Parts: sequence; C-alpha cells; structure tokens
Amino acid sequence: MIQTNLKTSGGYSKAALQRVKRHRTTEYTLAVHTLLTGLLVLAVSALNLFKPYVSDTFLPAMSVLLVISLFHAIALLLVLKFVRRNKRIAPRMAAIAGLLILTSATGNLFALLLGIQLLRRIRGQENPTSAKWEDIWESLTRNVAAMTGLSFIIFLFSISVCSLFTFDYSMATENNYSAILQHPSLAYPLGTDNFGRCLFSRIIFGARTSLIVGLISTAIPVVVGGILGAVSGYYGRRTDNIIMRLLDILYAIPGILLAIAIIAAFGANTVNLILALSIGSIPTYARTMRANVLLVSTYEYVDAARAFGSGDAKIIFKHIVPNSLAPMIVKATLTIGAAVISTSSLSFLGLGVEPHIPEWGNILKLGSTYLETNSYLAIYPGLAIIALVLSFNFLGDGLRDALDPKLS
Amino acid sequence: MGAARIAKPSHGSNLSCYISDVYAKMLLNPSYKYWLLVLGAPVNLIVLLYYGLHRKNDIYHALMNETRSELLEAGYLTQLLEETQEQLLRKQQFFKQHVSAERTERQAKHIAEAKFKETLFEETNRKLQSGGQQRLSYAATFAKLIENPVFLLLSILPGLLMYLLIGLYSNPYVKYVFERLIMSLFVILGVSVLVFTILYLSPMNPAANILGETATEEQIANFNRIYGLDQSYLSQLWSNIKGIASFDLGKSFSGNEQVTATIARKFPITFTLTVISLLLSMLIAIPVGIISATRRNSLWDYTFMFIALIGLSIPSFWQGLIFILNFSIKLHWLPATYNPQDWLSIIMPTIVLGTGLSASVARMTRSSTLEVIHEDYILTAKAKGLSKRQVLLRHAVRNAMIPIITVIGLQFGGMLGGSAVTEKVFNISGLGSYIVDKQFIPDIPSIMGGVVYTAITISLINVIIDILYAFLDPRIRTRMKQY
Repeated sequence: MIQTNLKTSGGYSKAALQRVKRHRTTEYTLAVHTLLTGLLVLAVSALNLFKPYVSDTFLPAMSVLLVISLFHAIALLLVLKFVRRNKRIAPRMAAIAGLLILTSATGNLFALLLGIQLLRRIRGQENPTSAKWEDIWESLTRNVAAMTGLSFIIFLFSISVCSLFTFDYSMATENNYSAILQHPSLAYPLGTDNFGRCLFSRIIFGARTSLIVGLISTAIPVVVGGILGAVSGYYGRRTDNIIMRLLDILYAIPGILLAIAIIAAFGANTVNLILALSIGSIPTYARTMRANVLLVSTYEYVDAARAFGSGDAKIIFKHIVPNSLAPMIVKATLTIGAAVISTSSLSFLGLGVEPHIPEWGNILKLGSTYLETNSYLAIYPGLAIIALVLSFNFLGDGLRDALDPKLS
Repeated sequence: MGAARIAKPSHGSNLSCYISDVYAKMLLNPSYKYWLLVLGAPVNLIVLLYYGLHRKNDIYHALMNETRSELLEAGYLTQLLEETQEQLLRKQQFFKQHVSAERTERQAKHIAEAKFKETLFEETNRKLQSGGQQRLSYAATFAKLIENPVFLLLSILPGLLMYLLIGLYSNPYVKYVFERLIMSLFVILGVSVLVFTILYLSPMNPAANILGETATEEQIANFNRIYGLDQSYLSQLWSNIKGIASFDLGKSFSGNEQVTATIARKFPITFTLTVISLLLSMLIAIPVGIISATRRNSLWDYTFMFIALIGLSIPSFWQGLIFILNFSIKLHWLPATYNPQDWLSIIMPTIVLGTGLSASVARMTRSSTLEVIHEDYILTAKAKGLSKRQVLLRHAVRNAMIPIITVIGLQFGGMLGGSAVTEKVFNISGLGSYIVDKQFIPDIPSIMGGVVYTAITISLINVIIDILYAFLDPRIRTRMKQY
C-alpha cells in the first residue's frame, strides 16, 4: 500500500522507486524477509535474558539461531550479487538453496520459499505454468502489505517452533505468587496475571494454539467443501441438487450458533472446537468451488480430456480442480483470520480451548476481569489477535490481486 | 402467460385450453408431474381410464405401421445396415482394433435398428403433422376431456388442489415465490433435524448435571421420563419438530420456564440490537464504499479501506472491552452494561456489533461499484450528457447495490449468531447469551429452540430479499419467465 502511495506522489520518488525495483528480484525480497524474520525471532527470544531464570536449552538454541541468521545474511549478499532477473542462476547456488531449506526447520518458512525458488531458477523450468507461477510470486512479493502480513504470520510460526527451546513453558503456566499482577517491566515485558504468570510468555505460547486451530479449521472445510463442490459442479443435475440442498441447511445456521450447539453437545475442547468451526464453513467453500468448477468445465481442455477417454475422477482432479483453486486459496486465506477470531471468541465464552491452555481468547477472558485495575491483561492479547488476523487479511488481499486481477 | 401465447389452435373455451396447456407443460417437469398426479388423483384416474380405452384405436399406431412397411419395402433397413457395417470396419481399421466379424455384425445391427427407429418416429410425426392430426397422448386426452364444460365443472371439486397448483404454475412470479417458500420450509425442517440430531448424539447427561452428583439412578430415570428423554430417537425428533411448528417446546430442563415464552421475551432484544446496528453500518459503509470506488487509489480510498480491514480484524469481544474501558471506566460517558430504559447504553453494543458488517459492506460496495463503473451502460449514460452525479447515483450505484444487498442478507445471519459474544460482553439478556448460558447443562429444548428460531428468522429474511430482487431486478424477472 505504501508503495503504491509513493507511486502516485511525485516524479522523484517514482524514479527512485524504479531504480530500487530494478534490483529487487523476487529472490532478493524473500532473502531480506528471511533475514528480518530470523532476527526478529532472535530479538524476541533474547528478551528472556531479563528473566530470573531461562530454560536449559536457551543458550544452545540461541547460538544456533545466531549462526542461522549469519548464514541468512550471507545468503542475502549472495542473492544480491549473483541473482539477476531473466538470467539463469549458476548451479553452485544449489548448495546455498539446500542449506536454506534445512534452516527452515526453525519455522522460518521464508528460507524454505527462497530455497525452492532458487532451485527452480537453477533448473530453469520454462513451461507456461511455471511462468505464470513466477508472475504470481513477483506481484505478491512487490505488494508491501501482503509481504508484511506474510512476515508476521511466518514470524509467529517461527517463534512458535523456537519457543519450544528458548522459552520456559512453566513461566506461562505455573503459578508464581511472588509476582502477582505486576505491571510491565523488563523481566515481564507485558506484566503478569493474577497467578503471577508471565503474560508475554503466555501470548507467545498462545500463538501456537491460535495458528494451529486457525489453519486446521480452515483446511478441513477447504478439502471437504472443495470435494463436495467439485463433485456437485461437475456432475450437475441430481447430484448437484442433493448436495447443494443439504448444504443449504448447514448454511442457514449461523456459524457461531452451530459451533455452540456442537460444543454444547460434545463438550468444550480443542478437537471439538476445530470440528465445530470446520463444519459450519463447509457450505461457503462448496459454493465457491462449485461456481468455479461450473465455469472451468466448459473450457476446451476439459472436452479434450474427455475426448481422450479420461475418466471422470481424472478429469476432475487433474484438469478441473487445479484450475479452479485460485479463488479457493484467496477465500481460505481471508477466512483463516475469521477462524482465529471465532476461536478466540468461543474461548472467551468458555466454549473453546480448555482453560488451562494459554490461548489468546483464554488469556483475554482472564484479563477481562481485571479491566479496571490491570487493563493491559486484556489489551495485549487482543492486539496479538488483531495483528494475526490483519496479517491474514493483508495476505489474502495480496493473493487475490496476484492470482486474479479481475477479483479486486 | 407464455403458455397462452404459444397455444395451439383448439376449440372450446379459452380457460380450458389454458388449463390443458399448463397441464401438459407441468407433466414435463419431473417434480411438478408427481404433485400434479397426486393432488388431482380423482380427476387423473378418470383421464387415465379414458386414455386407456381410446388408445387402441388411435390413428398414430396405424400411421406408424404404415410408415414402417413403407420404409421396409424401400429397403431402408438393409441400406442402413450396410452403411453402418462399413463405418464400423473403417473405424476398427483406423484404431487398429481386431474385432470378430460376428461381433461387428451384431454391433452394426444394433446401431442400424436404433437409427431405423429414429427415422420411423420422425417420419410418422411428419405425416401426422402434415395431416393436421395429433397423437393421442395423456395430456391430449386431458385437453380433450376438459374442453367439455360438464367435465370441467364436475372436476372442479375433486381436482381443486390440482387446479390451484396449475394456477400457481402458470404465473411465473407466484411460482417463483412458491418454490422459494417450499425450499426454505425444507431448509427449516432440515435445520431442526440437524440441530436435534447433534444434541441427541451428545454424550452429556443433562439429568446428572442438573440433579447433581448425588442423584440416584431412580431420580435420573424419573427426570428422563418427564422430559421424554427415554423415548426413541424418532419419537423425540417428531415431538421436537411438532413443538417448533406449534411454538411449544415444553419446559426447559433448568429454571422451570416455558422455552418458547422465554425465547419470545429474549428474541426482540437481540433482533432490535441487530437491526439498529445493521442500519447504522449501512448508513456508514455504503457511502464510504462509493467514495472509495469513485476516488480509487486516492488517500481517502486507502484510509477507508485500511480502516475497513482493521474493522474486519477486530474481535468483537475485545472491541467491547476496550470501549467499556475507555468510555465507561475512564471517561464515564456511557454505561458499561445494557439497560432497556437507558438509550445511551445501546450505543456501544450496536457499534461493536456493526463494526464487522460495516467493514465487509464497505469493501463489497467498493469492489461492486468499481465493477459496474466499467460497464457499457455507464459509458452510454455519460454520452447522453448526464451529470457525473446522476450517472453515479442513478446508474452505477443502483446496479452495484444488487450484490451488496445479498451480502447484507447473508451477514445479517452472521450478526444474529455473532451477537452472542457481544451480548455476553455487555451483559445483555438476549437470545445469544441465553443459548450460551444454557449450553453448559446442556439444556436441549432451550438450545434447540434458540438455534432453530434464529435459523428460521434468517431463512425468512433471505426469502424476503430474494423475492424483492425478483421484482426489482429486471434480469432476474426475464430469467424467471424463461424457465
């Protein structure tokens, strides 16, 4: 967004931007984000130094992270020097790419993306789908808002992985009556709650739950709804009628109420929460997929596949589904945010994740009782939720612009 | 309507001709055919009897036999057979298939016979038409009988339902509304079955939860007997569906109150809250979306869309808490909890509830207006010399509103459900917080009633929106007439 703002405001900045842009390959953007995300994880983990004690694995984990970040800096320099637009990359870079993919074990998915991108460029694929893929990547990496969103999501993912080693879980879950309701300080960057638990650690550990629940409860309806929608759009007539009418029933119940009913029946825990949220959003995905499949089925290549004697299953999954995925991906990204909000809302009502697990909704629920005296207990977890949801929305908007310029 | 225009020349009164035309059309529609035959069973039986008696001496069969012998005499079948055989051989040659001669012959014979039948059928029909005659079909029988005023008069009473259905079918508007209503009835029934089944499958034991851990087995069995929980799935389901239809779901498990009476007391609160915030958010969001679309890529556009994106990302309970913290606790401007007597107390809940909707409506308005602005008719309107304002308001926005209203209709449902969270934050005793309170037991009739009546409201609102569309949008109107 900032970038486009600049574009409209004056010729000078436009020229300057163009100069930067010429050097800015997709690989460069990814390398910068890899390094920045790694450093951010390192910095946030380093806040633990002010704590009275750290976990046993803190020092080795931090040194490993430091080494990895150094390597990422080197990779960035190499990319800047050797990777040029429209030129093949020397096969020597394959070693760097391999190492980058290895370092993505820290949860830094930018490293994985960069590694794969480098390998693809080294292999020099030139088929048309790859070119299209390249375009999508390029327009996504140029979108500052989308990349910021993606950075925050990957940062949260990475810190969720790294916190296994660098954070002490007992800080977030075990009561410490000597430090009850303390205001933010260096040892407790966001203060402590009524049981003396460090709010900062709790939010970091809560990221894991929120991300996992959000992703799974989006993935399940995407797959189920996608299959139902594809079948119903491809076969049409009676199949279509039966599937869509049954899904209409699900569609008539508001998602939150259906989730409440399911949780009322089967009890409040994480698995039921995921199922409850998933079932409610199946019809939306089925409708999106059906509309796409109806459109794609009329294309010539589907007729061609049929003339070659391909079976229905093969036509659906090899020709139709891959070509109708784009709107599904956009929709899924935009609704992960909604799933995160629903998760925390249900936890806030006491219907979601079990209360002893540090999840953002749970933390907020606890904090809301101290609204008058210790309002930070309610403010910070809420900010975390907003940041995550906003990131998914930014990413979703960026993906929509990149995948289908018509949709924007 | 359409049927009358293409009516074939026929004698008898206009009405009977009209009825028989619609009747014939309905027979072609599989779902209506079934209802038509069932609803008008007495009349249809007589028609069937008449049809069976007169079918044998129908001219069609004689004509068909005649044509068949003519074609056979001309050697048409053998000619077809030879042609097909040759085609098959060539095809096998091309694909390098090896098929036994016997099988090829059988295949050829099969295909040739099918082709012969087709030709025979076409030829017979051609002859019939050239002779100005009609094949005696079931529908034609009906038409012939109904031409007789005596039959028409006699059949009115036994076939009243059928004639009503015919009248319904003949008017596309009425038919559309009728079909839409039937569909939502089906959805409501489905919702009731689904919600009941979910609650029935529950492993929870409400009796133990209400009576406490010390309850004896006898007490639990007694509780289950009173609330009918010991009955079979189907009988419980039936009584629940009956209860929903007759607005009598019995007493709730805890609190000893009539479920529907409680819902009737709580529902208006939720509904009022939702409607006010719906109106408020439309009032804000639609102008914002239009401004963003007309000044695309301007600072206004970016600011508005950024705010909208934040609005989409704020969890409503957190927003509520922050509002309470700032406006009630710190500034003492507004009361923190809802109180029906104090109109100031409804401000914060409506804003919180409406934020998400405003955000999505603003985004939708923007993209929908942008899409419309590039249409040809906007260019035409500009070319006509209309002012910018007129083009925008009369042509662009009017057309852009169509998808927006759909989104509002759909979001309204989400708001009715989502109000549960807002109600909890502001301590409003509406339907949403009622359902949440009852789910811990779980109080099956209360949850069932709350969820199902909310779903019914949403379905009805969507029906109304759909029907309004049908009358307002000329495109839908023409499509309606076509099918």
